[in-house]
Amino acid sequence: MSRIQAKTDAFRAIADPTRRAILDRLRAGPANAGTLASDFQSSRPAVSKHLKVLREARLVVDTRIGRERVYAVNPVPLQSVAGWLEGYRAFWQVSLTKLKRNLEAK
Amino acid sequence: MSGIKTRARAVADLVDGCIVASVELATTPERVFRALASAEVVDWWVNPGVFDTREWTGDVRVGGYWRASGIGGGGPYALEGKFLEVDPPRKLVQTWHFAGAPGTPSTVTYLLEPIDGGTRLTVRHSDIAAPDRRNNIGAGWRSSFDRLSEILATHPA
Repeated sequence: MSRIQAKTDAFRAIADPTRRAILDRLRAGPANAGTLASDFQSSRPAVSKHLKVLREARLVVDTRIGRERVYAVNPVPLQSVAGWLEGYRAFWQVSLTKLKRNLEAK
Repeated sequence: MSGIKTRARAVADLVDGCIVASVELATTPERVFRALASAEVVDWWVNPGVFDTREWTGDVRVGGYWRASGIGGGGPYALEGKFLEVDPPRKLVQTWHFAGAPGTPSTVTYLLEPIDGGTRLTVRHSDIAAPDRRNNIGAGWRSSFDRLSEILATHPA
C-alpha cells in the first residue's frame, strides 16, 4: 500500500462518527473488540468491521495476546492527515495576524 | 476603541477538510473589505522568509477573476480563482486554486460582521482537495504545491 493510499484510507476511516468515537476511546488506552462493543453498546461484529477499516487505514494497530486481539491507536497516519491541512491553517493564521497588525497600525 | 483584543485564530477541521479562521479588527467592515479585495492583499498574504505575495490583480465582481503571485520556499507560486459572491462590506466568496494544478478549486468565504469597536472577520477555506484527488498529479504541480504546503506546515504560526 502506498503512502498516499494509506492517507486516503485514513480520511475515509475518520469520516465515520462511530470510528472517530472508537479512536477517541482507544486514545484512553488499548482495548479488545469485546470491551469496545460493550462501551459502545454495539454488536461485536459491527465493532469488528469498524476496527478492520481503522486497521487497514493504519489508524489502529492490533497485538495478539493469547487468544485475544488488543487494539491501540497508531498516531502516525492521523498526523499526516493533519499535515495535509496544516499548510492552509498556517497560511490563514499568519495572514490574519498580519492583517490585524496592518489595519491597527497607528 | 475597546474590546478588540482577540488575536487571529485558525483551526483545521479534519473531517470536513476545511479551515476556519477568525480575527477581530479595530476598524470598519468597509476598511476590512478593501484589504480583502484589492492589491492590498500583497501586504498581508505574507510570512517573511516563508511565503511572500508580490502581486495581486482582481476584477472584483461576480464571475470576475483574481490572481496572486509571489515567492514561496525559494520558488515562484501563483494562485488564481473567480469571485462567486461580492457583497461589500459583508461577504466575499472566491474560488482558490494553484495556477496550473489539476483538480477542482477550493473555496474561500470571508464574512464581515460589525461588532462593538470594529469588525469580526471569519474566513472559511473549504473544498480543499483531499490527497486522494491529488493522486494522479503531474510532477510540476507536486513540486510547486507540495513545496509551499510543506513549507507552510513546517513554519507554524
